[in-house]
Amino acid sequence: MKPAAFTYHAPTSVGEAVGLLAEHGDEAKALAGGQSLVPMLALRLAAFGHLVDLRLVDALQGIERREDGSVRIGAGTTQATVQRSEEIRAAVPLLARATPLIGHFQIRSRGTVGGSLAHADAAAEYPAVALTLDADLEAESPRGRRTIPAADFFTGVWSTALAEDELLTGVNFPVWGGRCGFAVEEFARRSGDFAIAGATVALRVTADGRLDRCAIGLFGLGPTATRALATETGLLGTDPTDAVPDDLGRAATENLASVPSDLHGSARYRTRVGAAMVARAWRRAVQEALHG
Amino acid sequence: MAPSGGHAPYAGTRTPRVEDLRLLTGTGTYVDDVVRPGMLHAHFVRSPLPRARILGIDTSEALQLDGVHAVFVAEDLNPGVHEQWYTLDGRDAPDTPRPPLAEGEVRFAGDPVAMVVAVDRYVAEDAAELVLVDYEPLPPVVDYAAALGSLESVHAAYPDNLAGQLGGRPMSDLDPVFANAPHVVSQTIHQQAHGPVPMETRGIVAEWTAAGGEMAIWAATQSPHEVRAFCARLLGIDEHRVRVVMRDTGGGFGQKVLPQREDMCVLLAATKLPAALKWIEDRQEHLLAAGQARHEHGEARMAFDGDGRILAATLDHVQDAGAYPTPSPVQSGIAVGMLFPGPYRIPEGTFSSRFVFSNTSGRVAYRGPWQYESMAREVLLDTAARQLGLDPVELRRRNMLSADDLPTANCNGMPYDHMSPRETFEQALTMLDYDAFRKEQARARETGRYLGVGTCTYVEPTAGATPFHATEGATIRIEPSGKVNVYVAGGSCGNSLETTVVQLTADALGVAVEDVSTVQGDTAVTPYGAGTGGSRSGSMTAGAIAKTAGVLRERILAIAAHRLEVPVEDVEFNRGRATAKGGDAVLTLAEIADLAYYQVHALPPGASAGLEASGRYHTPHLMIWANATHVCTCEVDLVTGEVTLLRYIVSEDCGPMINPSVVEGQIFGGTVQGIGGALYEHLAYDDEGNPVATTFMDYLLPTATEVPVIEVGHVETPSPGPGGYKGVGEGGAIGSAPAVVNAVADALAPLGVRVDRLPLTPARIVQLVEQAQGVTAR
Repeated sequence: MKPAAFTYHAPTSVGEAVGLLAEHGDEAKALAGGQSLVPMLALRLAAFGHLVDLRLVDALQGIERREDGSVRIGAGTTQATVQRSEEIRAAVPLLARATPLIGHFQIRSRGTVGGSLAHADAAAEYPAVALTLDADLEAESPRGRRTIPAADFFTGVWSTALAEDELLTGVNFPVWGGRCGFAVEEFARRSGDFAIAGATVALRVTADGRLDRCAIGLFGLGPTATRALATETGLLGTDPTDAVPDDLGRAATENLASVPSDLHGSARYRTRVGAAMVARAWRRAVQEALHG
Repeated sequence: MAPSGGHAPYAGTRTPRVEDLRLLTGTGTYVDDVVRPGMLHAHFVRSPLPRARILGIDTSEALQLDGVHAVFVAEDLNPGVHEQWYTLDGRDAPDTPRPPLAEGEVRFAGDPVAMVVAVDRYVAEDAAELVLVDYEPLPPVVDYAAALGSLESVHAAYPDNLAGQLGGRPMSDLDPVFANAPHVVSQTIHQQAHGPVPMETRGIVAEWTAAGGEMAIWAATQSPHEVRAFCARLLGIDEHRVRVVMRDTGGGFGQKVLPQREDMCVLLAATKLPAALKWIEDRQEHLLAAGQARHEHGEARMAFDGDGRILAATLDHVQDAGAYPTPSPVQSGIAVGMLFPGPYRIPEGTFSSRFVFSNTSGRVAYRGPWQYESMAREVLLDTAARQLGLDPVELRRRNMLSADDLPTANCNGMPYDHMSPRETFEQALTMLDYDAFRKEQARARETGRYLGVGTCTYVEPTAGATPFHATEGATIRIEPSGKVNVYVAGGSCGNSLETTVVQLTADALGVAVEDVSTVQGDTAVTPYGAGTGGSRSGSMTAGAIAKTAGVLRERILAIAAHRLEVPVEDVEFNRGRATAKGGDAVLTLAEIADLAYYQVHALPPGASAGLEASGRYHTPHLMIWANATHVCTCEVDLVTGEVTLLRYIVSEDCGPMINPSVVEGQIFGGTVQGIGGALYEHLAYDDEGNPVATTFMDYLLPTATEVPVIEVGHVETPSPGPGGYKGVGEGGAIGSAPAVVNAVADALAPLGVRVDRLPLTPARIVQLVEQAQGVTAR
């Protein structure tokens, strides 16, 4: 369980980092907290000739409230920093609530926001949160900068819209105002394990108690985190207390393609659990929106 | 042996562990901490296939890699085997195959095919990727339960895959009893493979000195002397020229009782190398190849009279031996059947055990290796209670042995004495408040919640007197300063054997624990001993220390009496100070030692100089019985299948406790392993024979968040052995899984669920519930 030899780079700027990625192409990999990459290297499930460590790139750090009200988190910000942030708790409560579900505290002390998003594990929490809140992901390469909507970012198992020479530099979470409710529920074999299945719910109700914004995210239920878009659409304009949560959970998880099966559960079982997580998250989110 | 003079003995107190400072501050010395000059590193090339013929191995490219010293294959190492057997079984017992490297055929995914030796582990792993093995895949025998009827053979010498079988009287003898009994209940339960998975994986460093014909070995082991003996036999060298050292071993649980195939490879290769050779198993190798345990099933049957009294009990048991079991299961495996009657009055019974090869990792010893007897019996009793319409506690009360029933023998001939099954059962139920829980359970069911309670009561032979295990030695040296060193064979893997030895010696000599140190795990300086295993160390080292310290204490008293000029009967010696009855004069142990070493002329006439003694205890007891009852309660979430343990109670009778903290630590650790076995751990293979739990992402160990507070009660029935002590190392791992399984089964009983296959994962529970509710799974 020793990795194959690699050249270690420790750039101090984004420009230098993406320069290295561009120079070494598919031989290079960005190293953030290392909580997924390093075990994969040690198990020789992956091998790269060049590791570009982002730890010394100060520009990737930090949480800031932007003029448009959104919250930008630098890709290199650790999950532990997010968990401790009052700003995040107040402005992006779904992110704050999902963070303690990531691994164990030791993992969150090293693991980063950008690392989790760019690694794009299907059962990870952050991709689902980013999708649910319609976050924008910022990427930079020697060719320039661009913004990628979360909906376009996750393209498959451990794969994203990032090009080989492109680095995820930050993520921008819009802040939802009004009477909102946010909840995340997941079921894992043990505390800290990747979820068997999980769900995120974000919703907003109008003064007369109708849903005017609603998002349901699913994770662990396919090659990537996804949104239950059809179910969401059907809910807009309705009174959220009219929905039967268990029915809603089933609706949100029917017709999912490629639900994984493994030692810990069949696709059928995962779907059942996913439906239950949607129902549980829905109840809590509605409760919060209506009663605070 | 309690010293007089007003000081309470250390035995029975929560004396702080002497190991803790180094172990808890990360300054222990494990085998991977050993560094030798010019040391080389080994890495194994392992089969990716469960079964295949080896058509050829090309090592040329690997050998060209810079830093590679050698690549060994079977032809290089296996002919070096002189003799290969374990002391426990003896030279002449029939044994199962165990080649160092795979010869001709690989027999499980993970089978070592070649060993790369390089300047460091990184290079060794790089080179291993360059070793080209040409395999011709063969159809594997994956499922041991189907292996007996398979046309394929794991080993050609065992065409029907039967490694061996053991049993009692013929099952048919009991046909009339079962035919005429008012009630007959049978239960088949399949237990999954799981591994001991100590925190520290396996590892060994071997350094050969050709000039002296000497081998030095540092090993992660429970038995340094067995490693020494094994090495001497393996290489055909003299035992006294082999030195084995272990300081700290990070868990063993039976897996490190015996050297395995990789250890053989390192020992054989070390004699061909110019420097020490180190192999440290990584976690993936460990889960692939360090061995499996608990993989077995059986049909348990009991006949009952109209009042629910057991008339007869049988067990038809089949166990997975894997490809290369260590040791052969055919000797030790008999304990499952012999102990199946457990703590119950059962007039008649018998058993059959078959041990079957499969193309999977080999079976190894694991903490309470016969544990299946309790699983089969206790799950059957709960099933029987439901079938007979009795509360499972009531059914057990009608049949369970109490201290008043002893001595007796169970129907398979095991002699029971000095224990208290019924007493622990009642204590545990009282701690729970069983009746209150049943009421709570009923109320919960009215609101759609499913709570359950399960029990398991077992009896356990500890400190068994096999020829290998029947003696234990101790050497005690009181140094010229009066400080005390105690030398025992050791083999502690976190079982606090140093603390135990220090406490027992301080009491036996009459000195302060602060003045006692212990040296363990070095065969060059400690007396021979079998190591930790079989829950033997407390009782056996207590015997060895009592015998040895008794001699020294007499000499201390004689010297003190002579110096104080009083009759020896008038000398009191306690906490290192000798006084004469009624007098003021004090003689410290330092002063006594000074006399013994430096003022020999002042010793009593005829007294020998120095203060050092060795003694060897030979137990007259075939075994020392311990027993316990585990009770747990749980809630099952029918939607996700999640099991939450609510309360966990153990009532244990290990006789008087040497150190309650150590006893509880042993119980806690074993109990958590059983919880893992019931709910989490599964060393699984897919249908093609590929291992699918090769990291801790998939091999799930229970963690602090999954385990409730474990409440411990004690019943104290002294054993006839030294100090009245009993073994307590394994019991927690025996009683826990059946209690948890019964609790889950009890919670689901209203749904008509019957548990037949472990582990009870959330997905499995959902499947059981759906089956009971008539939902067809896709």
